[in-house]
Amino acid sequence: MNIFEEDLNDTITFWEKIKNIFRGKSLWMLHYCTGCGAVELPPTMTARFDMERLGMGPMATPRQADVLLITGYLSVKTLRRVIYTYEQMMTPKYLVGFGSCTINGGIYYDSYAVINRLDYYLPVDLYVAGCMPRPEAIMNTFKTLENMITKGEANGWKKYVENYDWYRNNQIRSLGEVYVKDEFHE
Amino acid sequence: MNSTNDAKELIRILEKSFDIKDFTTPKKNEISIVVEQNNLPTILTYLKDKGWKQLSLITCVDWIKENKFELVYVLFNWSNGTTFVAKTKIERENPEYMSIIDIFPGAKYYERDIHEFFGVKFEGNLDSEKPLFLELWDDKPPMRKDFDPLEYSKRKFPDRKYDVEVSKNAVKDAIKEGEINERT
Ligand code: SF4
Repeated sequence: MNIFEEDLNDTITFWEKIKNIFRGKSLWMLHYCTGCGAVELPPTMTARFDMERLGMGPMATPRQADVLLITGYLSVKTLRRVIYTYEQMMTPKYLVGFGSCTINGGIYYDSYAVINRLDYYLPVDLYVAGCMPRPEAIMNTFKTLENMITKGEANGWKKYVENYDWYRNNQIRSLGEVYVKDEFHE
Repeated sequence: MNSTNDAKELIRILEKSFDIKDFTTPKKNEISIVVEQNNLPTILTYLKDKGWKQLSLITCVDWIKENKFELVYVLFNWSNGTTFVAKTKIERENPEYMSIIDIFPGAKYYERDIHEFFGVKFEGNLDSEKPLFLELWDDKPPMRKDFDPLEYSKRKFPDRKYDVEVSKNAVKDAIKEGEINERT
């Protein structure tokens, strides 16, 4: 960890760096299983790869989670819910996109119902390439994410606040309106 | 019980009272008929009475060259395992058809589905024009053959721009390095 002499006098940077170390060591993830990529998570979580070794555990609610995993294609309908979910999460929060569908639309690039790139709507800290990514690739990603957090490089949530207008405009362009209307619970 | 023989008997009865244009058995235990628009609800009622109690699906096919939509009703009979498919064609301009929710209440959602994806209106189903899957849809129904999904996707969901030269050079480099083989 690179805490330097001058940081010790600068309390903000110092404590921020200490906090980043702890943040990287305990990641609670909310896996929003939108698409086929999610099928690689059970082996990653269970005995064979056992991701809890890295201090990562699954979490049921957005308010307690640090990492949001988007595991695959996002339909327009799902994107609305994902935006809601992301905005409910406490900062700092990190977003990981799985598979080519989140990168460029993958095999759904010409669909009327599926968006093409996730980082147009929400800030993505890290992508895992592949259709679908192997558990090894996922473990590798989590390790990378951990390093990025410890070094203070995973700043998607800050980017989202700073460029909120840009993200908001993109969301409106594709969705019309982010508001979720749910006739079954009215 | 030989359900195919039963079916032949049934078709004879149906043919006597209705104008059935086409009758086929595409698979074992599957009967398919093409009927006149106005006869369809009566035939469905009759079939329900005869044991085809489950409405498995209503779907629609866009025959754009003929300028018609074809509605397909799939019924299932649990006592002899036979599927019954009844099809009928309606006009493609301002498509409208009778709702069958009085016969099969479960048709409600299939009819909403078809209204959403093909634009067919169902008279008698008060909910048929409420959106079901596509939220805030703002274009022509997406399953019509003249809808262009690629154009829509390009307009609404921008794609990542790639630098083509960079990827071409990367491929050339990889070939030079011997990492990949050039395709012959
Ligand atoms: S990238 Fe492949 S595996 Fe992942 S959601 Fe898309 S199609 Fe499925």
